[in-house]
Amino acid sequence: MISRLERRKMQKGLAFISPWMIGFCAFTLLPIGLSLYYSFCDFPMEKPPFYRGLENYHTIAHDPVFWKSLKVTAYFALVALPLGMIIALVCAMLLNVKMRGQAIYRTIVFLPSLVPAVASAMLWLWLFNSKLGLINKALGPIIFSAPAGWIESLINHLFTFKDGPFHFSTPGWFSDAFWVMPALILMSFWGVGNTVIIYLAGLQDVPRDLYEAAELDGAGTFAKIFHVTLPSISPVIFFNLVMAIIGCMQAFTVPQLIVPGGGPDRSAYFYTMYLYDEAFINLHMGKASAMAWIQLLIVLVLTALVFLSSKRWVHYQGK
Amino acid sequence: MKPVKSIVTACLIIPAIAILAFGPRSDQDLPKDRVIVDYWEKWTADEEAQMREIVNEFNDTVGKDKHIYVRYVSTSSVNQKTLVATAAGVPPDIAGMWDGNLVQFAELNALEPLDELAAEYGITSATYKPVYWNACNYHGHLYALISTPSTIALHYNTKIFADNADKLRAVGLDPTRAPATIDELDRCAKALDVVDEKGHIIRSGYLPMEPGWYVTSTHLWFGGEIWNPATEKFTFTDPKVVAAYAWLQSYSKRLGKDAVSEFKSGTGNFDSPQNPFLIGSVVMEQQGPWMANYILNLKPSMDGLADSKGDDFNLPLADRLKRLQWAAAPFPSAVPGLKDVTVANFDTFVIPRGAKHPKEAFEFMAYVNRQDVMEKLCKMHSKNSPLAKVSRDFLEHHKNPYIQVFEDLANSPNAHSVPQIPIMPEVGTEMNQMIQTLVLHTDVEPLTALQNCQDVLQKKYDKFMEIQKAREAAGVE
Repeated sequence: MISRLERRKMQKGLAFISPWMIGFCAFTLLPIGLSLYYSFCDFPMEKPPFYRGLENYHTIAHDPVFWKSLKVTAYFALVALPLGMIIALVCAMLLNVKMRGQAIYRTIVFLPSLVPAVASAMLWLWLFNSKLGLINKALGPIIFSAPAGWIESLINHLFTFKDGPFHFSTPGWFSDAFWVMPALILMSFWGVGNTVIIYLAGLQDVPRDLYEAAELDGAGTFAKIFHVTLPSISPVIFFNLVMAIIGCMQAFTVPQLIVPGGGPDRSAYFYTMYLYDEAFINLHMGKASAMAWIQLLIVLVLTALVFLSSKRWVHYQGK
Repeated sequence: MKPVKSIVTACLIIPAIAILAFGPRSDQDLPKDRVIVDYWEKWTADEEAQMREIVNEFNDTVGKDKHIYVRYVSTSSVNQKTLVATAAGVPPDIAGMWDGNLVQFAELNALEPLDELAAEYGITSATYKPVYWNACNYHGHLYALISTPSTIALHYNTKIFADNADKLRAVGLDPTRAPATIDELDRCAKALDVVDEKGHIIRSGYLPMEPGWYVTSTHLWFGGEIWNPATEKFTFTDPKVVAAYAWLQSYSKRLGKDAVSEFKSGTGNFDSPQNPFLIGSVVMEQQGPWMANYILNLKPSMDGLADSKGDDFNLPLADRLKRLQWAAAPFPSAVPGLKDVTVANFDTFVIPRGAKHPKEAFEFMAYVNRQDVMEKLCKMHSKNSPLAKVSRDFLEHHKNPYIQVFEDLANSPNAHSVPQIPIMPEVGTEMNQMIQTLVLHTDVEPLTALQNCQDVLQKKYDKFMEIQKAREAAGVE
């Protein structure tokens, strides 16, 4: 039985959150529901949706570009996600060490994540330019050095190539299907600042007495990291992992700016890029809606797996 | 505590109310006695400013007399935004889109047919050059007028030609003129290539993928067509089309796919002083008439000028041509007798379905299509005119001293506009992928790649038509 006072409080509470509730229902819940309906329709936006049953899902299942884009996204996630998490964690640990200028170092690491994605993509385009870019300018002296020449000669002495003699060359970052993804993965590390800050907050919460106890037991630096630090910040790692999985599945802005259309051999044609092209270039909004639901299912399954596994490796203090 | 709370609340509420009451108004400068026509356009930078000049002139003259005010908004992704706004029932009155989207939008009933309005303003097939008029019409209806058009020609660096005259003569070419056949183009390109001992390309005589904007039209210069509108079938396996893309692939085979790829990835942006044509790392390329603008702004020395402000367009044309270090000519054809082949593209004015002021919108579109206004705009953008009538002043005092070449190409019976296929964006995507496959994988047979492209696109087209028929049968249109 709710008292009059409680009812009045509830009414006030609902009144206060009603702008958000209305906004959420109109601009999130309704579009989500409609997109589910559209995923069973042909819907080119300018004509009314036309129900086609499971046709969109059938088309997607037999679409080689869909599988290619899924493979590209998986490749990015499998490499960029763990490496990004490790780099962020190492940075956070280094920034957690008490030293002079600690605040400056923390600022330097965090600053890149404040640079808008479009601006940083433009900078990276120049850095990775195969002729004029600083990265290849730095690699040039190594790749065209005398020892590299000897290796070239040896390879050409041992093997014959159909396209002429073998030569080392600086990577064609965005023109060579092999190098596009490594370039994008390297670029993704530029924005680890946010993750670093979250790790840093977690690291500062690790109780000092655990380290003291470990030291008394004779633990060295690595033992302390693996047996104290990592278990203590495992909830933070867990949070970052879930966010990173979602982030990888949604990678769009930078590859779309750098290699619109996915680059050579669609080697960087991410899932979201294909989804966008289907929706807004080819005007297959129904198929794009179906792809969005498949994406949601993939994220849900991966997140569920992480949640299930978390019982084994995530340790909450006080439990 | 209470007074503090009241003061803080007042400090927040009073300025908020003041801003609402007296703050800036987006419509503050809009005249109250005029019909406001919303015009969304894709252009940015100089082209945006030049169109704004035309809009301002309209607002100060015809617009003032007829109580119309054009509100001009420059926006990115204009076709997507127009589409979404149209679907939402709040489209702009005019959208400036690309020709490649015209048929796709018309097929979706997203555009207002303009036949009646055009007839009212005396705009007929005689107003435009045939290639542009035909492209603005689809299934017997006029769906667009043109804001600015273009044709594509071969641009070549005459200084490098002159510096390498001996090499060109050695392969039987005249260094004072552009190659006239594909065979001459190939020999010329080979003679002008500079490749180091490791196979890296230092300078390319010609490279189809630089800038590569028109590679999906390569078949036109070989007399081929990719689409048969009568049978509604793709014809990628036509021997002329196969020959065209085999030719395109031959450059990767001759120079090495890795070298081509490395060279291409090292080129600077088009709109920058590192543009490969401007720095001379590419000697010949396919470009539109706007290239003259970029040369003037980014490398005036190629125009024989000290700086971009030094050109006097009132000088006799012969004097201006003499000092140039570049020239434009029709891109050579592979078929004997097939001359003046070109791609005729254009920027469109369309009225999206559901626009609130179609008549007033058309008033502005018709104004821009007046000969004097169109020529002013096309001069500023450095483009040819879409209109059938062109003044002598336009030809003699244009920013592009070679404008006559582009005009002749636009009038040519071998000028081709974008094929009228409702799934054109998908055709473009698939063709670009096919071309990349040929360029990056020299072991792939052109016929195999083209057959694959044809199969994929035919399937997509058939599916599209099947759905349209099913919609028609179900009355969901």
